[in-house]
Amino acid sequence: MPSKEPGDDVATDRDSGRLLPWDVVYFKTLDGRVPALEFLDACPGKIDAEFAAVLDAVAATPPPRFSGGGKWEAMHDAMGGWYEIRLTGRGREQFRLFCLLENATPGELARRGLERPAIAVINGMCKPWRTTFAERDYRRVRELGDEHKRSYPRRIAT
Amino acid sequence: MSDSTMLDVSLHERRRARRMEDPAYRLAYERAAREIAQTDAVIRDLDSLRVDLGISKAELARRVNRNASSIRRLFTARRVHPELPLIAALADALGAELRVVRLPLDADSPIADNTQRRRAAVTP
Repeated sequence: MPSKEPGDDVATDRDSGRLLPWDVVYFKTLDGRVPALEFLDACPGKIDAEFAAVLDAVAATPPPRFSGGGKWEAMHDAMGGWYEIRLTGRGREQFRLFCLLENATPGELARRGLERPAIAVINGMCKPWRTTFAERDYRRVRELGDEHKRSYPRRIAT
Repeated sequence: MSDSTMLDVSLHERRRARRMEDPAYRLAYERAAREIAQTDAVIRDLDSLRVDLGISKAELARRVNRNASSIRRLFTARRVHPELPLIAALADALGAELRVVRLPLDADSPIADNTQRRRAAVTP
């Protein structure tokens, strides 16, 4: 289970009793690549559109409330702390988009360069139906996430 | 940190707006958004009804023969693809039922020419 960052899981949007929408940001690597956008750009248009619709729904009604039409899921075990969007394409091809939550105190969010909580989209992967991702695939996702979380302010695509 | 040092987080909206210029993308997005909104509304309505009735998640789980953690996960989006039989059972346990409601046709709707929009609703 990955360790939590300072200020994580502090429901800043609920402190005032109001449910504020979150932002959606895309992690950028040190060498300027944006893995999630590279993945989305390579997805069939329908899948790209569905991912956007789920992200928008979750950003509009962020966790812990139910949102995302059942396509947004908290991950477990080695991927604890991560969320994934799970979509099925033609031929039952499986598409996954891996996200982290940027939810913290206002001060901590400001340190990350964020005005309000956000969904950080880190990377995506696809696989044929009834197959599984290798542990090294998940490890690569976690490495990207660790790189994202080490950055102050966050390094995101603009 | 001052506003000037806050990151520009507008890319997602700008990208969506650009992609929406493609009619096929727009159709897929809007269809997905409608489906998501319906599912979310049903789950949230059930949870609101549960709260209004003063029933705990654990008690509701008992009523539908599920463990409490599975119901807790359902209401906090920690479980994907909620199954219709479970949703129907939860509604029944809360003294409600699921219905399909035919909506008025919108002439501008991309589906108006081949099918009518239907929506599930939780009715106490």
